[in-house]
Amino acid sequence: MGARQASNLEGAAVRLRAVEESDLPLLVRWINDPDVRHWLHHSDRPDATVESVRGRFGLTVERFPNLVWMIETIEERPVGHVGLLQVDPHHKRAELAISIGEKECWSRGYGTDAIRTVLRHGFEDLGLRRVDLHTDADNARGIRCYEKCGFVREGVMRKRRLRYGKPLDMVLMAVLRDEWQVDSEQ
Amino acid sequence: MEERDLPRFVEWLADRDVTRWLAAMGEPPTLEDEREWYERRREDPESVMWSIETLDGQLAGTVELRLTPRAKRAEMGIAIQDKALWSQGLGTDSVRLVLTYAFEDLRLNRVELTTDEENTRAVRCYQKCGFVREGLLRQHRLIDGRFGNTLLMALLREEWLVSSEQG
Repeated sequence: MGARQASNLEGAAVRLRAVEESDLPLLVRWINDPDVRHWLHHSDRPDATVESVRGRFGLTVERFPNLVWMIETIEERPVGHVGLLQVDPHHKRAELAISIGEKECWSRGYGTDAIRTVLRHGFEDLGLRRVDLHTDADNARGIRCYEKCGFVREGVMRKRRLRYGKPLDMVLMAVLRDEWQVDSEQ
Repeated sequence: MEERDLPRFVEWLADRDVTRWLAAMGEPPTLEDEREWYERRREDPESVMWSIETLDGQLAGTVELRLTPRAKRAEMGIAIQDKALWSQGLGTDSVRLVLTYAFEDLRLNRVELTTDEENTRAVRCYQKCGFVREGLLRQHRLIDGRFGNTLLMALLREEWLVSSEQG
């Protein structure tokens, strides 16, 4: 269990490799960047530390594994991370989490390519039926990217989290294998 | 909840009529499994767990709040596990008590829950307690070889305040 299960994956613009212990300081730097953190679900947590993020990145044994990859450009520059969390083999579902931690690499399609690569892996190799996510309702860039990858809105979770102490709605989105097959054939 | 409640839970959780509606159920737990679960919950600062009893002291089920303090929210999970006691209002009464605790004592902003879309008895109970539908998770659970939907419901502090004043 844990990160060893995350096999290396090749996309069009990025390659994904399993998170290793030595990636944690970089992941922590990204998480603690206020511009990145603004969109993360833990903006109101204390600053991350290597210890506090270890479980999140698939480096501990959990009941349901978290598969987490570093997103690297073709030139092998790490720019962010993507994960399939709480991979549930019975209900054949998982939760997607993604963040491009290098801000100057935002809006270049790395996230979209990483998500498409992970979805193909989840549906084709892992046999998943459903991948879902939740994101801030005002995260227009994120939502556009998720829609491009086939996610549809399933609901709005009102005042689900706090950002700088203020309640914030979150959108629940999911893509089913049935829809994704249709989508990827087009 | 006390350790002496556990054997009854084990007995009830072997009953398909009961587990059919529970989200997290795999194989029916043994008493040893149930002890481990109880110990984990007792040590977990983000879980508040009660046994539900009738006024004459009969054990009926469990109700839990799983807290996310930094977001001022909790997820509620409830089961009347003794099916002889279904449809007598024990669930509704328990949910209301726990909501009062969540909003008045813990000062939460939001209590949410998920339930099987086909669990009409539960959905009615939650609506009666003020919960609002927020979304439908499609093909979210595999039950008896078929994928079913999960309903997401939530109640906000301000909604609860209004409804408890009208009480």
